[in-house]
Amino acid sequence: MADILKLAKTVDDAAKDARAIPQLSAKEKITVEEGYAIQSAAFSRRLARGETQVGIKMGFTSRAKMIQMGIDDMIWGRLSDGMLVEDGDEIDIKNYVHPRAEPEIAFLLGAPLPYACTAAEAMAAVDAVAPAIEIIDSRYKNFKFSLADVVADNSSSSGYVVGSWSSPGPDLSNLGMILEINGRPTQIGSSAAILGHPARSLAAAARIAAAAGEPLQEGWIIMAGGATAAEALRPGITVRNSVQELGFAGFSVKG
Amino acid sequence: MAKQADPIQTAARRIKNAAKTGKPCKPIRDLIKKGDVDAAYAIQTLNTQAWIKEGRRPVGRKIGLTAKSVQTQLGVDQPDYGILYADMEICDGDEINAARIMQPRVEGEVALVLDEDLFDEQLTLVDVLNAVAYALPAIEVVGSRIANWDITITDTIADNASSGLYVLGTKPVCLSEIDLRMCGMVMENKGNQVSVGAGVACLGNPLNAALWLARKMVDVGMPLKAGDVIMSGALGPMAPVAPGDAVEVRIAGLGSVQASFGI
Repeated sequence: MADILKLAKTVDDAAKDARAIPQLSAKEKITVEEGYAIQSAAFSRRLARGETQVGIKMGFTSRAKMIQMGIDDMIWGRLSDGMLVEDGDEIDIKNYVHPRAEPEIAFLLGAPLPYACTAAEAMAAVDAVAPAIEIIDSRYKNFKFSLADVVADNSSSSGYVVGSWSSPGPDLSNLGMILEINGRPTQIGSSAAILGHPARSLAAAARIAAAAGEPLQEGWIIMAGGATAAEALRPGITVRNSVQELGFAGFSVKG
Repeated sequence: MAKQADPIQTAARRIKNAAKTGKPCKPIRDLIKKGDVDAAYAIQTLNTQAWIKEGRRPVGRKIGLTAKSVQTQLGVDQPDYGILYADMEICDGDEINAARIMQPRVEGEVALVLDEDLFDEQLTLVDVLNAVAYALPAIEVVGSRIANWDITITDTIADNASSGLYVLGTKPVCLSEIDLRMCGMVMENKGNQVSVGAGVACLGNPLNAALWLARKMVDVGMPLKAGDVIMSGALGPMAPVAPGDAVEVRIAGLGSVQASFGI
């Protein structure tokens, strides 16, 4: 049986100090369930430092990625106010281990979603949608990990940028998404890559969060998952995710 | 002294013969200088003339190699073009006979239909915008007469830019109604997602590809004409297809188009 609190301190310290660590599973076998227990305990350490939970993120939301990882469900992680990077702001790469950016769509809940629901019910609870970028950053050396490892490490979540909110009017099923580095498109995709429709990711978030005993709450932000492969960050670059109909979100990396 | 066979004619015959017999041929790059794009177009043009003589009706052009990744893969820095013939058109939703196309693969594209000629020198984007009557969602079924798709840039150009068949959606959309750079594209095969992308994947915007084509066609003395269909280039990675498959392409703002493949 893994020492949850000890391992939680290990991953939390690694995130706090921006330091790469060996995989937890290299030393002892941990289950995915234990991975989530470690994530929860590690997140509690953030809360103890004064951060507040503001939502959750979904990971492995493309079928290709699930097949690649040999899993049959998504993973999730927790978002805190301390992880927010303001739209247009600058980050310092020193605060990360080996960060990457993923173009995403964010949902803002206007009502709680405390149970497993349909995509339509999930969308009915949505107050607004926004173009977003997730800064993912595995704390493990070489971005290599087992499923339990990545789950313990808050599913690689490290930061998030959210653009302007708009009412969830447009059809979200097939919005063009472009991740640009220094103004040049480097990843091109569609919101369709997020489980076929981002609303399905939101419904999955409601189901998974309810099952974990931490139901989605009013006012929370749900990051629906990456629409393309992630791009590695480096000093001096500007990153932007443009989403058809929704606008854009971006940040830069200090040179 | 024995008369030497003209390599351009030999190459053209090799490809045409493959198209007629349905048996893929060797690449033609052994017959011309490496990377000799002009010679490759000369081969394509010989076959174009031959096909027209045999009664095929040209109805437009396809643009290929519009993705940066594909250009890099083939070591080129510009797209290519091929001729579309009336007999290559498949109606939305129709079943495609497997014998119609060699080594098929599918791509989701924007088709542009012109209602003005584009014959001027130094054409601009505005000329193209003014000449486009409407856009349609489209599936391009590419094929290769070259065995195992063993192509270099000259092989694909000589082989009519690996063109095969094309399927157009049926609801025309005016350019003012759609954002061709940002429009999302998703392609499904029997309900499974096989390709996603957006307009920007096609040279930054399908209209950029159309402008490149329009200029090129003036250069080579075959200007685009009113009524021409332009298959502007893939918005996402191409996907393989096999007998029994059913493909749907949806482009945000343009609607959808379907094709199935006979067993």
